[in-house]
Amino acid sequence: MSISTIQNLLVTGLLRGGLYALMAIGLALVFGVMNICHFAHGEYYAIGAYAAYFAFAVWGLNPILAILIAALISFLAGAITEKALFYPLRKLSKGPWVMNAFLLTAGLSTVLQSGFQLGFGMQYLGITQYWNATVKVFGMNIAADRVVAFGIALVSIAGMWLFLHRTRTGRAIRAVSQDERGAQLVGIDLDWIQTLTFSVGSMLAGIGGASLLSLNPAYPFSGSAPLISSWFVVTIAGLGNVEGAIVGGLLVGMFESVSYFLLGQGWQTVASLVLLILLLLFKPSGLFGTGIKSVWE
Amino acid sequence: MLEVKNLQAGYDRLQVLWDVSLSVTEGEFVALIGSNGAGKTTTLRAIAGLIKPKGGEVRFLGTNLSGVPAHLISRKGLSLVTEDLNLFEAMTVQENLLLGAYSRRDTKKIMGTLEYVLSLFPILSERKNQLAGTLSGGERRMLAIGRGLMSSPRMLMVDEPSLGLAPMMVVAVFEALKLLHEQGVTILLVEQNVNNTLHLADSAYVLEHGRIALQGASRDLLENKYLKETYLGRR
Amino acid sequence: MQDVKPVQVPRPNPIAWLNAGLHTLGLSLPFLACVLILAILPIFVHEEYLLRLFVQSLYFGTLAMIFDFTGGFINFVNFGFAGFVGLGAYIAAMLSLYTTLNPWLGLIGAMLVTGLVGFLTGLLTVRLRGIYVSLMSWFVGMTLEALATAMIKVTRGARGIIVPPMYASITVVSHLYILLGAMLILYVILHLIIRSKVGLAFRAIGQNYEVARASGVNPVKYKLINFSLSCACAGLIGGYYAHFIGIVTPELLDMSHTMEVMALSFIGGSGSLLGGVFAAFLFIPVFNSLESLMNYRLVIYGLSLILIMIFYPAGLGGFYQWLKAFLNSSKGKKPS
Repeated sequence: MSISTIQNLLVTGLLRGGLYALMAIGLALVFGVMNICHFAHGEYYAIGAYAAYFAFAVWGLNPILAILIAALISFLAGAITEKALFYPLRKLSKGPWVMNAFLLTAGLSTVLQSGFQLGFGMQYLGITQYWNATVKVFGMNIAADRVVAFGIALVSIAGMWLFLHRTRTGRAIRAVSQDERGAQLVGIDLDWIQTLTFSVGSMLAGIGGASLLSLNPAYPFSGSAPLISSWFVVTIAGLGNVEGAIVGGLLVGMFESVSYFLLGQGWQTVASLVLLILLLLFKPSGLFGTGIKSVWE
Repeated sequence: MLEVKNLQAGYDRLQVLWDVSLSVTEGEFVALIGSNGAGKTTTLRAIAGLIKPKGGEVRFLGTNLSGVPAHLISRKGLSLVTEDLNLFEAMTVQENLLLGAYSRRDTKKIMGTLEYVLSLFPILSERKNQLAGTLSGGERRMLAIGRGLMSSPRMLMVDEPSLGLAPMMVVAVFEALKLLHEQGVTILLVEQNVNNTLHLADSAYVLEHGRIALQGASRDLLENKYLKETYLGRR
Repeated sequence: MQDVKPVQVPRPNPIAWLNAGLHTLGLSLPFLACVLILAILPIFVHEEYLLRLFVQSLYFGTLAMIFDFTGGFINFVNFGFAGFVGLGAYIAAMLSLYTTLNPWLGLIGAMLVTGLVGFLTGLLTVRLRGIYVSLMSWFVGMTLEALATAMIKVTRGARGIIVPPMYASITVVSHLYILLGAMLILYVILHLIIRSKVGLAFRAIGQNYEVARASGVNPVKYKLINFSLSCACAGLIGGYYAHFIGIVTPELLDMSHTMEVMALSFIGGSGSLLGGVFAAFLFIPVFNSLESLMNYRLVIYGLSLILIMIFYPAGLGGFYQWLKAFLNSSKGKKPS
């Protein structure tokens, strides 16, 4: 293995890792605040990818603007979904919430994927690159796209952290995830926070899809792989653990990068899944143990 | 300030309250006492909007609270400190208190209230940056009451603050409530500890099986034969 | 001493006896009527296209029934269901490709292997609770799909395996009768299990795992029994499907097929066993007859699932129960 190969692996791993961390934060938030195991998270990644494709390749907008638009559109998509589906489910459903919500997201995933097929066809809508440039980082020549994507991931993660810890609304979100009734008692509007959380989670996924457009073209099923990866991260970090998702994201990114190199596409998927199963088997509350008691017997 | 008329409430198919009427005027310290299962917590929950009443009426400051969601009732100035406390375990004491003031916007005034609460409960001041989940039982109760005060409420409702506390802590908590009352805070206190409560409150309502069995000024109730036998164990 | 009146021994009423027998087997008259209609249909309908439609409906309906055996009773939504069906299909396909084994025996093989994998998967979930059980089954299903794609030397990867029919002269009508018979037999077996003490244990676990355990029911044992059986049946039907459809590809194990079965099962009514069969006969012919609808198939399944979850979780089965009670009460009879 040459130095450049290792470097390449590292770069790809970090890049993917950063974006997976971003998506995983969204997933962790949705579970922590709304107690929903989100099965359709990948579809919002796809929405972001489609939006960015149209903004950049079809309407010729500036890449950064395209990504911002993608973020906005996925945010709105999340808001609409929450209000249209989860809000009524919360008010009307009397059965087991977690399972019903999970099933709802499964149905949602199917509907969205079919929607993409019907709306955009089965083609791969991709771009070769956002910027025609390479950047010199630590003596390596890396495509500008990758550097910017990683930068966006970092900025977004930092932004999320600041939002959750330093703003009134962010603290309210954390409050709802910790004690719903307590949040009500201090005057927090649960419905509003839930809509906001889902929208933010969807936005994070959308940013992932938009940033990686040059690597992963928009395609009806483009959300499937990121979904698995996000779940991988969340399983490592423990469902609901936002900070752990960051470290977990990087770990998964590196793991996928290396295993892809060693095993090729087909077996890399198998390796990821086997590891996922083992994790769920031996450390379901995550490597960093958030002590989710409901998992164990 | 608070008017409850013929309140009926319960959970799903189980009706707990059949006919509860009480009222609290401004500045009063009113107690709702009764034994386990009488429906005291249910009453508070129904007033605070955490459960929907099946019948009757609740008016706060003249407004009908029926159908109003809990968070809006809280913003109207009716603050509830629950028996379970419902603290934000993974946040610090300070963060919990600041969240108590969520519905307020004036930062200066919020900090002022924070100082006041910390002076009321000096222990909380010491543990300002500790996670709520790491506090002792009594400290958690104080934090819950403190958080309830952070919204600068017109009326504070407290559910069984003495439950599970060491006697010294119970004294401390009751002292704090007494001080609050002296400073003009309107309080509705739910308690099983009848003796201490009646010595603290102005008036009280006795709840039995979802109905008000007895009511009146505390000093009168303390002389009441039935009450003495049933709740104070004296003849 | 009082005269002891001779006890009237009721003469055995053959119809009542038949009724009771059918009831034990879970076969109601309306259902048997439907089965009969389906059985004599080929006499009147000769179009291959329509007959294939019914075969497809039977296939999905039976799968929905098998899915419901787990989902509706031990409350475990097997998100990897298509993986197990596909596993059965692949085993049957590989047996027909690499060995000279009689295809019927191949089906048994498919059933056994899938049952075993189901058992192992169940073991993986032993210490997990609630949603994590479904997550694990989802991961296993995806792993099976990934393996089918990756093990190219054995499974021919994405190109798939061509599978010969069960026997050379098989016709669509034969398929119809075979699947109809399979559905009936499976239903009776599953129904009898549900009615037995084992089934009671299933329901106890499904309602409340902890309480069941506290009452002395060994949840692990019954969870494993149920899941292994369900997967074995899925493998059996999957294996048969391989011979029916003629080609097996990794796509068969895709999540979307789990969604189809799941949707049918829930729309039919969780815990009704047969509800999914009726739902299948409702949806599949409609989808196939209107060309444009075929593309929207998954959307409609997804939407229906969503709507049912939110508004009418009892599904068709619940509706049927309501109808029965309504008709009984209007007739003046007490609902049974």
